[in-house]
Amino acid sequence: MNSISIYRNIFVSVLLGTLFVVAMMMAESQVAVLSLIVLAAVSCIVLQKKGVIRKLGSDFASAEKFANGTIMIGALATAVVFAGDHFILLMLTTVLIYVVACLGLNIQFGYAGMVNFAGAAFFGAGGYAAAVLTMQTGLPHLVVLVIGGLVAVIVGFLLILPVLRTRGHYAAVVTIAFSLLFRTLVEVSPVLGGAQGSPVTGMVIFGWNFNEGYQIAGFDVSFYINYFLFALILTAVTFTIVRRVERSWIGLNMDSIRIDETASACFGMNVARWKVTAFTIGNFFMGIIGAFYAMMLGFIAPNNFTFGDSLIMVSIILLGGIGSIWGIILATGIVIILPEKLQIIQEYRFLIFSLGVILVLLYRPNGLLSRAARTYFPGLLRGAR
Amino acid sequence: MKQIFRIASILALGALAVTATNGMANAKDKVTVGYIGPITGKVSAHGIAGRNSADLAINLRNQDPNSKYEYELVALDDECKPNIGIQVATKMATDKHVSGAVTHFCSAVATGAVRIYHQFHLPVVVWGAISPSVTYGNDYKEIHRTIGTLTSQNKVAVDFLTGLGYKKYVVIYDTTDYGKGHLEAFANDLLATDGELLEAYGVAADQQDFTAELTKAKSLNPEVIYFAGLSDLGIRVRNQMEKLGIEAQFAGVSGIISDTFIDGTTASEGSLAMRQGAPVEVMPGGPEFIKKYADADYKDPAEAYGVYAYAAMNVLLDAVEEAGPDRQAITKALNTMPAKEYSIGMVEFDDHGQNVNSLVTPLVVQDGAWVTWDESEYASGKRTLKGK
Repeated sequence: MNSISIYRNIFVSVLLGTLFVVAMMMAESQVAVLSLIVLAAVSCIVLQKKGVIRKLGSDFASAEKFANGTIMIGALATAVVFAGDHFILLMLTTVLIYVVACLGLNIQFGYAGMVNFAGAAFFGAGGYAAAVLTMQTGLPHLVVLVIGGLVAVIVGFLLILPVLRTRGHYAAVVTIAFSLLFRTLVEVSPVLGGAQGSPVTGMVIFGWNFNEGYQIAGFDVSFYINYFLFALILTAVTFTIVRRVERSWIGLNMDSIRIDETASACFGMNVARWKVTAFTIGNFFMGIIGAFYAMMLGFIAPNNFTFGDSLIMVSIILLGGIGSIWGIILATGIVIILPEKLQIIQEYRFLIFSLGVILVLLYRPNGLLSRAARTYFPGLLRGAR
Repeated sequence: MKQIFRIASILALGALAVTATNGMANAKDKVTVGYIGPITGKVSAHGIAGRNSADLAINLRNQDPNSKYEYELVALDDECKPNIGIQVATKMATDKHVSGAVTHFCSAVATGAVRIYHQFHLPVVVWGAISPSVTYGNDYKEIHRTIGTLTSQNKVAVDFLTGLGYKKYVVIYDTTDYGKGHLEAFANDLLATDGELLEAYGVAADQQDFTAELTKAKSLNPEVIYFAGLSDLGIRVRNQMEKLGIEAQFAGVSGIISDTFIDGTTASEGSLAMRQGAPVEVMPGGPEFIKKYADADYKDPAEAYGVYAYAAMNVLLDAVEEAGPDRQAITKALNTMPAKEYSIGMVEFDDHGQNVNSLVTPLVVQDGAWVTWDESEYASGKRTLKGK
């Protein structure tokens, strides 16, 4: 294998991907949006048939650092293109926020095999922590983010016992019940603003006010660029941690528990310990990013965190491929951006969107980019060259 | 042959007329206005009805030869979710082509989104959300609302009850935002009259026994027990009043209006309540709206609130006609708009952009049904309320 051709392949595909994202975000008319969707679908099918996607997959795996760096540059370039556009930056930031939340959920669902249908509740716990803390106290907002994560973890501890004692469908029911409970609780709580919601202060870090735009060489830059950049950093950090967890002995333990709990216990693994670990790490990420989301929107209400929103998070993971980090990132983009782009077809948009998702899962039952088999010696591919 | 000639000439004339009108239409400047409502999700029936009604207002305006602009509608879906609401509000407000918008059915969505409109200076008329905080929770000049707020019925209630000659009141309210909001508004409005609020008792929304509160209330000897809460709680309060032999007139907020209230109480006869809004049939422009909506042949019914979206859009279009497509000019025109009659009744904004003339209709239970006060036998003097 030729390393130059690997780098070239990665560069070209990231460039094309970035261009596609830019074109998609710019597309306004029905024709433009629909033809871009068709273009993406057709080219994916063709490339899959020709084996190009498999080849690219191994290229990305063999030069991981370069690939991640290029994708990061692609994301930054997209932000530069839309620097003046509030709405598009808001959408892109929302995608990053959901990526972090779903990566958290992925540790629970994808690695440890714990179904959690209360993702939106933990996301909301962080959000409400941010609402109370920013409105009532003068705590620095970075601390608020961390506390948001901790609150989600603490709320999660309430569920640990029932979740550990139940399995499969029963565990799912426990989390569903909690998700409904959470919403009812915030709805009747006057401290949290009740059903009408609560305002949240915009983010300020070390005097860097996220809600202020800039002027660079006479060009107005949207204030959302602050949120986008910060969310990009959070995403990169979460991505790194989740990757490390996945590849470490921690991830190995979680995988083993997911695949066969009884066998793992027989080999002396402490099943409860790894489940609690996965649950805690996942909730922490969801809480942090929930707090960030609340600060960006400046307003939260119970309706943001319904059972339906938890289902959206679970469906992102299923669509992307359970346990697959890049799959989740791709799926989040589709699930967040596509319904918005389909606003032009009004009341039928969710019908079309759901049909699309069903079609994808029909032809790719393991998700868009299913998780590859564990490489016990990452980088071996390159070493063996 | 002659016939063919005649048909051909009619067709030619028709074609000419079409091109001419097209030419005229093109001569008008295009103005884009927006609509936001829950087009999908649980309350989509209202969102779709609102969109169709807003669309109807625009189509009728475009057919009007006297209108200065040609209007175009951009409709977006907020799913009745605050986060999506903020998203689409940002989309609409940052779209430079949009001059103004008619927005939101759900209160929590509207409360969250008003900040965005203010931030990007988009003038909006809220058509369906009724939480007081949408207009009174801020000082944003861009925000207006044609529909009445949740608490505006209390003003009517106070005027109505004091008009009947009642002077001494006890309020029983549930301790949610709903009950508390009503209590505050009622107490505040009562100050301006010769009525007196003896005491207000807060109760939990699921409380079963009110003996303590009602016994204390009885000793105060009120003329009216005003109840602020929903019907299931209202049923229990009304029944226990009867049990304790309290001879005060019972009056409630709109939340108690339902058939279960009548079925569940032993003594519902003569209970009063304020209905928020009015049936579209009895609105000043209601029948006309119903006819035009039917003529336009929309697939979905206009629902109870369609007429509000229609009126809100007309208010916005009138402001554009007067001030032109510039956002700041429209905001100013809306803020200084003189009182004018629309299909839902008079529209006149106060300094928070709230329409001060909201439609509230007093109702009374007569023979096991809610009857409009003016049509009841109580108003005509055939029957009498408690203490009269």
